Amino acid sequence: MYNPPMQVGASAAARTEVTRRRLLQSMMLVTAALALPALPPGALAAPLNADQKTTLLRVARDIYPHDDLLDDAPYQAVLDAILVEAESSPEVADLLSKGLADLEQRAQHIYKANYIAISKPEEREGVLRTIELTDFFQKIKGGLLMGLYNNKTLWPKFGYDGSSWETGGFIDKGFDKIDWF
Amino acid sequence: MTAKFDLNDDSLVVIVGSGAGGGTMANELAQKGVKCVVLEAGNKLSLDDIENDEWAMFSKISWLDKRFSAGGWHGARNHPNLPAWIVKGLGGSTVHWAGVSIRFQEHEFKMKTTNGEVVGANVIDWPITLAELSPYYDKAELKMGTTGEVTGMPHLPWSADFKVLAEGARRIGYSKITAGPMSINSVERDDRPACQQIGFCMQGCKLGAKWSTLYTELPKAQATGNCEVRTNCMVLMIEHDKTGKVTGVVYADAEGKTQRQKARVVCVAGNSIESPRLLLNSASNMFPNGLANSSGQVGRNYMTHMTAGVYAVMPGEVHMNRGTAVAGIVRDEAHNDPKRGFVAGYTIEKLALGLGFLSAFLVPGPTGWGRKVSGALEKYKYMSGVWICGEDLAQEQNRIELHPTEKDQYGLPAPVVYKTDHPNDTNMRNHSYQQMEKIYNALGSTEIYNLPAYPASHNMGTNRMSEKPRDGVLNKWGQSHDIKNLFVSDGSQFTGSGSPNPTLTIVALAIRQAEYLAGEMQRGHV
Ligand SMILES: Cc1cc2nc3c(=O)[nH]c(=O)nc-3n(C[C@H](O)[C@H](O)[C@H](O)COP(=O)(O)OP(=O)(O)OC[C@H]3O[C@@H](n4cnc5c(N)ncnc54)[C@H](O)[C@@H]3O)c2cc1C
Ligand code: SF4
Repeated sequence: MYNPPMQVGASAAARTEVTRRRLLQSMMLVTAALALPALPPGALAAPLNADQKTTLLRVARDIYPHDDLLDDAPYQAVLDAILVEAESSPEVADLLSKGLADLEQRAQHIYKANYIAISKPEEREGVLRTIELTDFFQKIKGGLLMGLYNNKTLWPKFGYDGSSWETGGFIDKGFDKIDWF
Repeated sequence: MTAKFDLNDDSLVVIVGSGAGGGTMANELAQKGVKCVVLEAGNKLSLDDIENDEWAMFSKISWLDKRFSAGGWHGARNHPNLPAWIVKGLGGSTVHWAGVSIRFQEHEFKMKTTNGEVVGANVIDWPITLAELSPYYDKAELKMGTTGEVTGMPHLPWSADFKVLAEGARRIGYSKITAGPMSINSVERDDRPACQQIGFCMQGCKLGAKWSTLYTELPKAQATGNCEVRTNCMVLMIEHDKTGKVTGVVYADAEGKTQRQKARVVCVAGNSIESPRLLLNSASNMFPNGLANSSGQVGRNYMTHMTAGVYAVMPGEVHMNRGTAVAGIVRDEAHNDPKRGFVAGYTIEKLALGLGFLSAFLVPGPTGWGRKVSGALEKYKYMSGVWICGEDLAQEQNRIELHPTEKDQYGLPAPVVYKTDHPNDTNMRNHSYQQMEKIYNALGSTEIYNLPAYPASHNMGTNRMSEKPRDGVLNKWGQSHDIKNLFVSDGSQFTGSGSPNPTLTIVALAIRQAEYLAGEMQRGHV
């Protein structure tokens, strides 16, 4: 009969898991507590104004920050695609405007400031963590994941080579060269 | 000379699926003169369709029909509709696979005898031994072109990325460090070229240097004139007669029309989610719990291997993407030593990911974002990493079930895939994290990322072989205990997962099964 021991590591992992779950649950409570009253049925979400668009760009840059590596363009390209979608989809428009309003309310609640006016990046990340499981946040995060990291034009900046068969692979291009140890 | 068989021809062996198990069965039977039809749910791709692009190939070849993740593993939350990462297409997951081809160790066939009862698990011994399978391992390696002694083909050259892992492993005292065995040509062989270190092995090998049934077994089977391959044909159910013998299959063809192919024998090889699902979906008045399920074990004992990933930022450049995806293996923890806090063992496999996949899996799921993630990705060219692949103990509650209401595009109940770690898995995973930390620290790296399991690429055990009919679904030939002319020819036969990657063993079992089946047909037993 073998009964694997409960290891320190294992129970620590289990503890982290419990903590994580509690955290998620409490976040959802916060989400519920701070949720805005629903718009009356049939009310059309207004398109985003310039300030909201600026906030959205800040949010995008805070989701995957590359302060020195990337300018605004690739972030903006992802957001533009979502904004175009919002033009024909009331659901997406609604998701954006309500998501932003919710975010601002949280920023006010925690820091008494607009999101964009919170100067410390880690504090902005903290605010975003409280909405990370929302559809609004995941829509932007999902777009960025593909738009930044599955974007061939940006790969050189990250030092990733991408497709190599056209040029014969790396067999004659130093696939085995290493000198730092 | 490709064969074309009649739907009413009841002398045929019908093979469901064209991957490692099904594709091998087809060629082995066809070479022996046994007439067979392969029904494959997916498309036929050619080498021209293969791109060096992780997400493009993911969407081109993955099985993306409706599926649900359940149980205690993180994927139930983070990959709710992608419990497994496998292929729907001609060649099955051998289009995707990386080529690692390790044999089981002797004790991995008898884990029950080796360790006794493990609390909370459902472990039994395989009904076969290493000695029985060894000659078929030889045949499998010759067929697949596995680097090593049997083929005489040297292992692939060490990439920079593998040298990093090897050096770290050496520094902590490991010694079982090799760049193989891999079923990838290191020299030209079997009319296929040598590997050019392109580096997208898991997106399909553009050159065909890596073995895949797509361009080896299947065309060879067709060339005999004994095998017909029908693509875009999804088998919906297996039918049987009053005596309980199977008589054929019902499938949806490329136009979506329902067809009925008669058969003398049916071999199911749809991988470990679809194979039990097909048996369960074939329930009838005579077999209300599904075909071949008198034991109640169809769909149970689902194993994926205990897996984990570890990636670390090195003090110098690595460029892990340059060269084969799995450039080498470390096997110093593959033995069975309960003193480590777990039974069974694991291998450490070098695994290169591109930026596309690394960004999605470094911290998977909705919480994977923020400065830590983006900061790590900026150091892509300094990163090196591994995949951990260890034995996963059978547990009855890890299972494939039919969803009570959700249906797929064919109108069949969708599969729900339950997976929860056993404490043995947790202990083993934590041990591997600790060892990898030592290895990477020894190289001067302090920025280390522990990744949880990916969606399962290794799927096993859901129609397991057993000595006693009450413990499993199949006998030692992969033949159903209940129905003589029904066979299972894929990884769902596995009684235990072992620590090795499964494909070599799937192929060895299929070669052995084909020999037995051809003999039984000749003797008139099936
Ligand atoms: C990314 C990746 C890397 C891997 N690397 C390795 C490795 O290095 N070493 C190793 O040993 N293994 C590896 N594997 C695992 C290996 O690919 C599988 O274990 C093996 O291919 C399984 O063989 P199979 O015959 O069980 O199923 P598959 O090869 O998946 O074939 C099943 C086929 O059946 C078809 N099918 C399913 N249901 C039906 C139906 N109802 N009707 C008709 N057709 C159907 C499917 O479309 C599929 O083509 C890897 C897998 C992946 C995804
Ligand atoms: S690295 Fe070798 S095996 Fe892998 S895809 Fe390239 S040529 Fe094929």
